[in-house]
Amino acid sequence: MEKLNFTYQNSQPVKKFVHVGVVASGDLEVLIYPAEKTTLEIVTGSDGFKEVWQNVLDRFFTRYPLQGKFVIHDFGATPGVVNLRLTQAMEELNDEE
Amino acid sequence: MKSLWLFPGQGGQKAGMLKEVDPVLKEKVEHWTKVRLLDSEGGYQNSQQIQLSILLLQVGQVDRLKAKGWKPDLVAGHSLGVFAAAYAANVIKQEDVFKLVSLRAKLMQDSYPQGYGMGVIVGLSRQEAQQLVDQVASADQQVYLSNQNAELQNTLSGKITAIEAVLELARKSGAAKAKLLRVPNPSHSPLMQEVADQLRAALHQLDLTEPNCIYLANNNGHPVKTVEEISYDLANNLTHPVFWETMINVALEYDSQVSVEFSPGTAFTKLLKSKTDQIANIALADLTIDDADFLLNKWEGKS
Amino acid sequence: MSERNWHSHRDAKNARLAGAAKLLDGKFAKTEDVVKVLEALIKPGDKVVLEGDNQKQASFLSAALTKVDAAKVHDLHMIMSSISRPEHLDIFDLGIASKMDFSYAGPQSTRVSQMIADNTMQVGDIHTYLELFGRLFIDLIPNVVLVAADKVDHEGNLYTGFNTEETPTIVEAAAFHDGIVIVQANDVVDKVPRVDIPAGWVDVVIPADKPYQLEPLFTRDPQAISELQILMGMMAIRGIYEKHNVQTLNHGVGFNTSAIELLLPTYGEQLGLKGKICRNWELNPTPTLIPAIESGWVESIHSFGGEVGMEKYIMARPDIFFVGNDGTMRSNRALGQVAGQYACDMFVGSTLQIDQFGNSSTVTHGRLSGFGGAPNMGSNPTGRRHSTPAWQSLKPADDPLAKGQKLVVQMVETFGSNKKPVFVDHLDAEEVRKEAKLANVPIMIYTEDTTHILTEEGIAYLYKTDSMEERKAAIEAVAGVTPVGLRSKPQEVKNLRERGIVALPEDIGVRRQDAKRSLLAAQTMDDLVEWSHGLYNPPVKFRSWS
Repeated sequence: MEKLNFTYQNSQPVKKFVHVGVVASGDLEVLIYPAEKTTLEIVTGSDGFKEVWQNVLDRFFTRYPLQGKFVIHDFGATPGVVNLRLTQAMEELNDEE
Repeated sequence: MKSLWLFPGQGGQKAGMLKEVDPVLKEKVEHWTKVRLLDSEGGYQNSQQIQLSILLLQVGQVDRLKAKGWKPDLVAGHSLGVFAAAYAANVIKQEDVFKLVSLRAKLMQDSYPQGYGMGVIVGLSRQEAQQLVDQVASADQQVYLSNQNAELQNTLSGKITAIEAVLELARKSGAAKAKLLRVPNPSHSPLMQEVADQLRAALHQLDLTEPNCIYLANNNGHPVKTVEEISYDLANNLTHPVFWETMINVALEYDSQVSVEFSPGTAFTKLLKSKTDQIANIALADLTIDDADFLLNKWEGKS
Repeated sequence: MSERNWHSHRDAKNARLAGAAKLLDGKFAKTEDVVKVLEALIKPGDKVVLEGDNQKQASFLSAALTKVDAAKVHDLHMIMSSISRPEHLDIFDLGIASKMDFSYAGPQSTRVSQMIADNTMQVGDIHTYLELFGRLFIDLIPNVVLVAADKVDHEGNLYTGFNTEETPTIVEAAAFHDGIVIVQANDVVDKVPRVDIPAGWVDVVIPADKPYQLEPLFTRDPQAISELQILMGMMAIRGIYEKHNVQTLNHGVGFNTSAIELLLPTYGEQLGLKGKICRNWELNPTPTLIPAIESGWVESIHSFGGEVGMEKYIMARPDIFFVGNDGTMRSNRALGQVAGQYACDMFVGSTLQIDQFGNSSTVTHGRLSGFGGAPNMGSNPTGRRHSTPAWQSLKPADDPLAKGQKLVVQMVETFGSNKKPVFVDHLDAEEVRKEAKLANVPIMIYTEDTTHILTEEGIAYLYKTDSMEERKAAIEAVAGVTPVGLRSKPQEVKNLRERGIVALPEDIGVRRQDAKRSLLAAQTMDDLVEWSHGLYNPPVKFRSWS
């Protein structure tokens, strides 16, 4: 069990609360709240992947610089599944616009 | 219905585990080895206590399962477990195997001073782990990549300071887990050569018979069918990694349908389950022999 | 000068058969005499084809072969499509066989790797299926072939039915070059439903003690399909199948392609693509295609082999499948591989590793699984001349003498289920070449044949790249956070997207939120049974009740 924290300087504030994914084996849930800064709190059952998370988040935010508070509960998702949930959240936010 | 019998090594021992063991067999073992089996927390600080007690548990279970008419098609022992595996394969007699393991344990206990042991890395491939070992290992800092327990689970053996250096590198390389194991000597590395030499000499004296099933060898993960190859494994597995993952892959290629894990613990059943759902599993640490017999009959009827 | 004996093979064959005459009643031997028959008809050093097909195994004969006296029958040179059963390798331990030429060894990959390393087995070479079949007529002409049939009549005509696979090809190579054809049959009948192999090609028939082994290799439970695979399936249909107007195709076995099959009646329907794509298939009869068939997407399916459980369904759909006038299907691997090469617009498959250049491999340390059909299906046949919209759409714009190209698509998630990267700088295969003493690195599909790589991030349209540098950049753009993908630069990705070399889901109008299991036309095995009107009969291991 690990708790990870990250911060980013992103430019697109999210306008509403969004919740995607489930805490099931191989999956994760992503909650995004509007906020002044971009912070991430990740609770994960798979230890030792901090660098991978960093890479996934760097890549995601380079393409989609969302500003908000992210809370993530991970249950052993591969980087591909993490990317899926993050981009699903991104789409849901874009739908509003 | 092809069955695979799994024999764990040291690690799962606990006080009171010999409660259900046949007292007659226990007495014989104590007589042959001149060691009183304490079956206590304190007792299990000593190699002979651990190894003889685990072997006693396993040999007792093998006898009772065979008495019900069951035989293995493949046997796989992990480290110490190879002795019960060889016994189950009909290669070595009871008295011989206990005396041999008693000697082994004594030699292992005396073989290394403090400062040597083992570690485990989870989450890196064997190639990745080997690269880290290569970075640290030297004449002074002896460390070897040892057991291949799963695709992403490997152990280290050697000097504790060297092991710790490798573990640190592993953590930096993204290993999910990298820690020391509670093992007091560098098992399964070339550092155990002297012990292996003496075991080989002892085995040479024994009357062994050809196996009646396939024996999966620790030292190279091969399926072997000759007494020479098994004898080599019994003597020398301490100086080689245990290629458990390979052994299990081979067992699966032989179409194993049922696995029976002997006591103590259920670690290898868990590993097997996480690898495949094609095998029906029994762990004797959780079931009585009668219940195991019932299940085996039920599955046999279905196949 | 003495005359050369121009019929020495024929003489030798006749001598062998004469030597076995007392075991035979016409062509028939007794079940219990199988070992004696093999000892009488096989000589040391013979080239022997043993039917280890992908699905069908001549298991009675292979078990018997392990029991022959190694003093009488030894050093055989085995030729096998698929090394599938333990006894296929036991014969090497026993000294009965010493050399092997094969195509696929998935089910025995660890032992094969061990036997090569310790010289128990000498490997001639590893092949793709069609290549091995070809050599049966050139430089690997067999002395003896051991094959399996369903039914045989009293003259020796064989019925091989759904699981005909490569039996006719193997038998032809022996029958017309004085090889000996030995057949194990499930049943002896008065009249076979149809003649798949005529009696004139057959030398010896041995009724087996039990039916030959058959594996359901192509059945995938829809419950195991993940949302990520559904997203990738949607991208494939939209960004490749629709874009290139793919009419004829082959799906390599796997969950990715099963997902696509189950998305046609739903997602494909939403896009209005029915009748426009995926009409003619070269494919083993996978149950996951049933909904598309029932919905009217499919015109025809030719198969390499059968699939356990699909028999009744196939018999009820002769307009779709290749069915004899007896009502049962006939498969043919050799012809299927030819069709897959020349007559299909596209191959879609998956793999375990892709390198920075786009080469794919399924080979890992300590396991030599061989190639199977993929190198053939996943290669561009430069001999092809006929044009279809899909093939033509890959023609380079700038060369007046150019022609089209077959679409070869590799679909992979960037990380495997063990969280190890699929995209790597160097394939494990490079090391395995040395371990297994192979002449060349065992690459499954080469980058020059790979036209598209599709990951959960997007599609790299490799055929549009002009240089290796550009090809590498396109791969990096969709390789996620693997070491290869981390080299990707945002400006490069932007540039590649603008030029249509890389597409992310939003570039092709695919919504990730739509990638839900409810989008699958069938979500469980029961759903598939229902789609088939009860005709599909899932094999035991796929049934949810026990």
